[in-house]
Amino acid sequence: MKKLYSNKLVIFSLILPGLLLFIFAILAPICLSVYYGFTDYSGMGKYNMIGIENYKNLLHDKVFAISLRNSLFLAIGFICIQHPIAMIIAAVLDKIGGRAESIFRCIYFIPNVISIAVIAKLWSFIYNPNFGLLNNIIKAMGGKGNINWLDEKNAIWSVLLVLIWHGFGWGMLIYYTGIKNIDPTLYEAASIDGASQVQTFLRVTLPLMKPVIQVNVTMAVISALKQMETVYLLTQGGPGNSTQFAANYLYQQGFTAYRYGYGNAIGVIFIIICLIATVALNKVFEDREEAKYRKMERKRDKKNAMQKRMMQNNYKNSVKAVS
Amino acid sequence: MRRIKKVVSTALVAAMAATMLVGCGDSSTSSSSGKKGDDGQVTIKLFSNLTDRKNGQGLVEQTIIDEYMKANPKVKIEVEALDEEAYKTKFKAYSMSGMPDVVSIWGQPAFLDEVVEAGVLAELNPSDYSDYKFVEGSLNGYTYDGKLYGLPRNTDISVFYYNQKMFEDNGWEVPQTYDELLALADKINEKGIVPVAMDGGDGWPLCVYLADVLFKITGKDYSDAVSNAIKTGDFSAPELKQAAQLLKDASDAKLFQNGYDTQDYGAAMNLFTNGQAAMFYMGSWETSMATNQDIAEDIRTNIRVFTMPTVEGGKAAATDISAWNGGGYAVNANSEVKEEAIKFLNYMYQPDKLSKYGWENGVGLSAQDQSSYMTGNETELQKQIVDILSKSTNLSGTPINDQGTSAFKTCIESEIQSVCNGSKSVDDFLSAIGNACK
Repeated sequence: MKKLYSNKLVIFSLILPGLLLFIFAILAPICLSVYYGFTDYSGMGKYNMIGIENYKNLLHDKVFAISLRNSLFLAIGFICIQHPIAMIIAAVLDKIGGRAESIFRCIYFIPNVISIAVIAKLWSFIYNPNFGLLNNIIKAMGGKGNINWLDEKNAIWSVLLVLIWHGFGWGMLIYYTGIKNIDPTLYEAASIDGASQVQTFLRVTLPLMKPVIQVNVTMAVISALKQMETVYLLTQGGPGNSTQFAANYLYQQGFTAYRYGYGNAIGVIFIIICLIATVALNKVFEDREEAKYRKMERKRDKKNAMQKRMMQNNYKNSVKAVS
Repeated sequence: MRRIKKVVSTALVAAMAATMLVGCGDSSTSSSSGKKGDDGQVTIKLFSNLTDRKNGQGLVEQTIIDEYMKANPKVKIEVEALDEEAYKTKFKAYSMSGMPDVVSIWGQPAFLDEVVEAGVLAELNPSDYSDYKFVEGSLNGYTYDGKLYGLPRNTDISVFYYNQKMFEDNGWEVPQTYDELLALADKINEKGIVPVAMDGGDGWPLCVYLADVLFKITGKDYSDAVSNAIKTGDFSAPELKQAAQLLKDASDAKLFQNGYDTQDYGAAMNLFTNGQAAMFYMGSWETSMATNQDIAEDIRTNIRVFTMPTVEGGKAAATDISAWNGGGYAVNANSEVKEEAIKFLNYMYQPDKLSKYGWENGVGLSAQDQSSYMTGNETELQKQIVDILSKSTNLSGTPINDQGTSAFKTCIESEIQSVCNGSKSVDDFLSAIGNACK
């Protein structure tokens, strides 16, 4: 079997499908996007190269600024609200045990299973100012109940709530598996040392969960940037452009405003922002001690290499001297 | 052992090759255009924006298709129907990869200009239609550079549908001036009823309303005023400002339901058909409400219409109405079965087809003369609409949002929500839509 895996042809054939998929489904479209970003293509017919005109316009585009701001809000909402709650719930679930554990796990995951179209329609009914559930609850409690939850001031918060609620199950499930993978002997050791529940969570669970948190947070930020379906179905970015998100704006410009070139320019900026966000997050999560250790290791390697070279030179010189 | 390894490696390579080949199917089978078979069998693909095939306009379209296939057994017509927004998106995708043979189109610059420039629509011969009784001027929207690229299906009028019984019971009267309309809003609100159900979530009905008010102010000069503004990107003319202000006044006077700027077509229409709203602002294509069995009888039979009341100081008379020829059909220029597709298109437009069936099903007004189909059994609503059109002294033409490019349309349809709900001033709104023209 080992020999089979070291056969270069086999390795190549195993990698090839993935590689081709990556090239044709991701790399090639990105290259095409970069190309179309420099044109005034409407999506049909002929087009002209217009240089960086699209990017210049993008700088002054207020709606694009709003959509980036909203994506940022959403990312902050995910990191500061959704994920802490998801992690705490995952930790609590882990402690409950038994049948209740699996029941609650299922319940919390349900929003994720429901189709986005259903979720959007469901919430548009809940938020409806005339007959919506939310206003009816307020009325039942004696309030006026005529709040327009999706008006220009409230809309972004209402949309954020839906998105945070909807994505919550995923985050929780990943944290939950992360916690389940922690060696139980560590908890035993902590309890022998007399650590409280909170201390155990902060000193044992949290540090060991770091890789999971890193993956989860990166995914949350990227999904905040990519947000489109729910917003498209719930508000279409309106009223005005108050709930516009970058991906939705890209779609709108490319496909309803017939500004395919401009849409592609937005796409390119969008990819750059996503890449920067990923790199930045990796930097943030990089273990300082580990980084230090690696740096030292690199230094040592350099030193060793230098010593080796010096020794070789000395040897050569001595050989020369002898001959 | 070595043999087993060899077999496994070969199997792996074969599996990989197979997975790759799956993606390389025969592209001609997935083409969206129709085809001619060896045995004379012809398949025409029709791409339609009418998703409901059992009611209204969709039923009319389907009836004609079925009839045509019966009369021409060698022709098979396949229909793909999508809602308007999705339709327009897919239309664009099709225009890049190959269109179906007969398609729904809109005879308005926002839609037609880009499509015609891309060369995807077949040119039609106007002389074919000389005896098709098209209403004068109705082909203008479908003509580009003097060439005809499509045929209009409807004549659309923007109207206020109102519940006559509710009006009589409460002693309300149909408003004759814009001020009366706003005053009426107060009276209706006092009763806890929504005055006008408005689909503000979509943006375009608000634009139609704006165009309606603007037409009442400018009269015959409406088209020039709008096209000049779009050409120069300067929307600061006083009549444009006044129209936007009047729309804002309506919103401030609570003429529309709470949260109208976030509610869609269905939600707004439901308010009216459930009796929670006294009026519903929409196009004449909803005339079939009067025959829709899903609506309670005492509401259905009491639906009447009036058009936008006159504006003080405005140039338009009460009989000058906001009307245009919107949706229609065209044929794909690169279709394999272009001739057959045009034949089918011409069949649909024979005066006793689209126009007659449309009339019998009460789906509003067609772009062809329908006067000979009057039987006297029409609903009150239908008679009223015909009456409004026949007594009209001036028609506005295309609404403001459809007169510019698609980028302008997208911009005005989202900005108009901001000006209505007060988060943007009238001046900011006008300058924002002006920028979208540049």
